[in-house]
Amino acid sequence: MKVTIKTYNAVAYWRWDAPSDDVCGICRVQFDGTCPNCRFPGDDCPILNGKCGHSFHLHCVNDWIQTESSRGLCPMCRQKFEFEAE
Amino acid sequence: MTSTQKQQQQAANNAEGGAKKKKVTAAQLRAQKDIAELSLPPTMRTHFPDPDDILNFELKIEPDEGIYKGGLFKFTFSINNNFPHEPPKVRCTQKIYHPNIDLDGNVCLNILREDWKPVLNLNAVMVGLQFLFLEPNPSDPLNKEAAEDLRLTKESFKRNVRQSMQGGFVKSVQFDRVLK
Ligand SMILES: [Zn+2]
Ligand SMILES: [Zn+2]
Ligand SMILES: [Zn+2]
Repeated sequence: MKVTIKTYNAVAYWRWDAPSDDVCGICRVQFDGTCPNCRFPGDDCPILNGKCGHSFHLHCVNDWIQTESSRGLCPMCRQKFEFEAE
Repeated sequence: MTSTQKQQQQAANNAEGGAKKKKVTAAQLRAQKDIAELSLPPTMRTHFPDPDDILNFELKIEPDEGIYKGGLFKFTFSINNNFPHEPPKVRCTQKIYHPNIDLDGNVCLNILREDWKPVLNLNAVMVGLQFLFLEPNPSDPLNKEAAEDLRLTKESFKRNVRQSMQGGFVKSVQFDRVLK
């Protein structure tokens, strides 16, 4: 049985120097905060901006990419997840 | 607030309160957010048998249109510690006649299997489940006989669904009574 997800309840704000989505789609915590396994936001828990335009906590997307079923794809758009080198 | 919302809130609060006592896992945190954000149509209700356990709960679906209208279908959700990297495990607790649900209650829904991705939330899964009752699909079946039945003549399929929902037999298998 196949269904197609037509809408997400994704909320986007625009602001300087920040990813286009306000929350990490994986843990659903704001990018100002950390992934669920970290305590201090900032360099210890960085945000990875994918070339596809989707961003996640590095730790969150790492866990996903290591999952066999991810096949290396972005959890949002299912394109190959590649990130921009700073 | 409806009683369901109250219950959801309570489950979410309990999980939060538990944080002080024992470490809350990433899976619990994410499940808590998903549950707090559920916005289900009146045809679906969640129930938490143990309000301290937000990772195991029940979902009831009462389709208000389609072939399965008039039935009350029960599912269990169990979420493991790899959530949201792995989908929740969903089972139908009744024996029902449906092309995409086998006699043991296993559910064939793409977003619970190959098309799962961690940005999907519990709400999307629940809406997907309800869709199975509105549009049973003969391609990609788990119950091959029911799928064949639906493919050949929709009329006979409908009759057999009604029969099964009353607790009757279809092709020498007895089904659970699921009428409200
Ligand atoms: Zn995250
Ligand atoms: Zn982190
Ligand atoms: Zn993407």
